[in-house]
Amino acid sequence: MFGYAVKRLLQSLFTLFIVVSLVFLLMRLLPVEGYFGDRFQKMSVGEVQASLRKMGLLDPWYLQLGRFYAGVARGDLGVSFIYRRDVPITKIIAPRIPYSAGFGLVAIAIAMTAGLAMGVGMARNKGKLQDRAGTVYIVFVNAVPLAVYLLFVQLYGSSLLHLPILFDKYNIASWILPAVSMSLNGIAFYAMWIRRYMVDELNKDYIKLARAKGLPNRTVMVRHVMRNAYVPMAQYLPAAILATIGGSIYIESLYSIPGMGGLLVDVIQRQDNAMVQALVLIFSSVGIVGLFLGDLLMALLDPRIKLAKGGGAR
Amino acid sequence: MTASPAPKAILEVRDLVIKFSLRGRLLSAVRGASLSLSEGETLAIVGESGSGKSVLTKSFIGMLDQNGRVDAGNILFEGADLATFRREEDWLPIRGKKIAMVFQDPMTSLNPLLTVGRQIREVIELHRGLVGKKAEIATVEMLDRVGIIDPEARADQYPHEYSGGMRQRAVIAMAMACRPRVLICDEPTTALDVTIQAQILGLIKALQRDFGFTTIYITHDLGVVANVADKVAVMYAGKIVEIGTTEDIFYDARHPYTWALLSSLPQLGVKGRPLYSISGTPPNLFKEIKGDAFAPRNPRALKIDFEREPPMFEVSPTHRAATWLLDPRAPRVDPPESIRAMRESLRGEII
Ligand SMILES: Nc1ncnc2c1ncn2[C@@H]1O[C@H](COP(=O)(O)OP(=O)(O)OP(=O)(O)O)[C@@H](O)[C@H]1O
Ligand SMILES: [Mg+2]
Repeated sequence: MFGYAVKRLLQSLFTLFIVVSLVFLLMRLLPVEGYFGDRFQKMSVGEVQASLRKMGLLDPWYLQLGRFYAGVARGDLGVSFIYRRDVPITKIIAPRIPYSAGFGLVAIAIAMTAGLAMGVGMARNKGKLQDRAGTVYIVFVNAVPLAVYLLFVQLYGSSLLHLPILFDKYNIASWILPAVSMSLNGIAFYAMWIRRYMVDELNKDYIKLARAKGLPNRTVMVRHVMRNAYVPMAQYLPAAILATIGGSIYIESLYSIPGMGGLLVDVIQRQDNAMVQALVLIFSSVGIVGLFLGDLLMALLDPRIKLAKGGGAR
Repeated sequence: MTASPAPKAILEVRDLVIKFSLRGRLLSAVRGASLSLSEGETLAIVGESGSGKSVLTKSFIGMLDQNGRVDAGNILFEGADLATFRREEDWLPIRGKKIAMVFQDPMTSLNPLLTVGRQIREVIELHRGLVGKKAEIATVEMLDRVGIIDPEARADQYPHEYSGGMRQRAVIAMAMACRPRVLICDEPTTALDVTIQAQILGLIKALQRDFGFTTIYITHDLGVVANVADKVAVMYAGKIVEIGTTEDIFYDARHPYTWALLSSLPQLGVKGRPLYSISGTPPNLFKEIKGDAFAPRNPRALKIDFEREPPMFEVSPTHRAATWLLDPRAPRVDPPESIRAMRESLRGEII
């Protein structure tokens, strides 16, 4: 088990390295205006070149990459070029982390509880009203573009439920709409997959045998069907985290939440390459940690994986 | 092997009718089956695929699929009529406790995510009310009893660490854990290789000797039947068309379907001749069946076979068959030559 964890950790770090390096190099291919913003118009070619050299941007790419990683190792993500000129990026980001992390975690928690409950209910009432209604919801969330139904949520949430339309950290009511918005996709996702796995499980021979043993329905459901259906769900944890990140980028700007997602939209629009790079690094790290945890959870829950990858049968 | 002369009936099925509703239509899977089992007896149910063997026995533990129900008839067991049971709670004292079932495929019969010991223990906890250490000891005892070596360590292992034969032993341990009165084995060895098959059958026999339960085997393998059964019931299209002791069926079969079934046995085929197979297909169970269900496939069918359903005729006190051939007015129809030849070759060989 430990060996397996270490192996997966190394794989995760390698994936992270590839993703971040790729983004870093792609950023270098962008037009150099991005490093100067409005000032670019007023600068001569000579000034631009001098500036670029000073920032080290004319060095060969591998030197730049090396410097970037050396900085990351020291906990230094560089300085912002445009967004807040010459301010260390870590300083800009730090106060925003709690908002993004907080909303993200709450959204995932809501998605998991509501989604799993919904999916379990659908599986147990397969083909009946609850199952049909759930399917409609899942299809709706998957088919209608995120931007569209999130606008609906904002619109009707504020007009019908009188919830605040913009985020204000001193007003708890204003937290509701963004948190719910962020979880809508996850709810559909979890419901869809747990329903599928439960329906699969219900048809398994060992479930029939568990019934034939005389176990009451509820015991069969909880001890055999649900437990077994939850195990493969672990692999979707990272996907749910990634989806939440994706959603948060849009939702944070929609509700003016001072988090990292809104910031990313901002700095991309303003072409602050250094900031984009730093945020991508953070978001990919979170995603990859999620993948790693998902795999680890699977291995913990499923004895067959432990044996295949770890020790070996006696 | 002779039927033990224990006359006390433990399970009695009378004119059982089981129907399934399928997309608005009704399918009659069991159409008036009757049989009676004495304590300690071993019954084998044979018949081709789809004849209703599994459905019939599943109804004894209330495990019919959602869309099926007992439509008429009785299943008498220990003073209760199981055919009237509707609610889940009715079944709890019977299912797995008094009547246990072992399924065909041991590879898929165990939950892969729970240890084997845990899966046996849950039966013991449920039906014998043991908990903690006592339940654990009983679990290990049970594994030992079904011939699992080093049962203590094995109890903590997962099914994927067991071989196929061991898994079937574990499944049997589960079924036996609460000392049932009736054990139903639905093709218990079909998925296993031949040597393991023999071991499993031997194990069930030994357990039966010790605990004295009644066994119902469902099987396609007449070799198994000859080896283990006291009594054989032949099913066709949801009916028991012939029932008798193993000798009655092998030496003195009366129903044309039983003849056909016996003729198609690979074990009993004559060397050098192509294996006999029953021509035609079983009747459509969605439709009302007129007369003898086997008549359309029976080259020796009488006119009346197409018109009126034959009742059960008594051949001997142990042997009954539903065929007009047994009516005193029927013309004399001899079994096919292959059956007569087989009877000769059988003498003293299999039984
Ligand atoms: N849930 C169900 N819905 C509809 N029809 C069913 C259902 N279960 C069984 N049947 C039908 O009942 C009939 C008897 O099925 P059963 O499984 O008892 O056959 P069997 O004799 O056990 O066959 P096999 O030897 O292949 O196991 C078949 O025609 C089958 O299609
Ligand atoms: Mg069957």
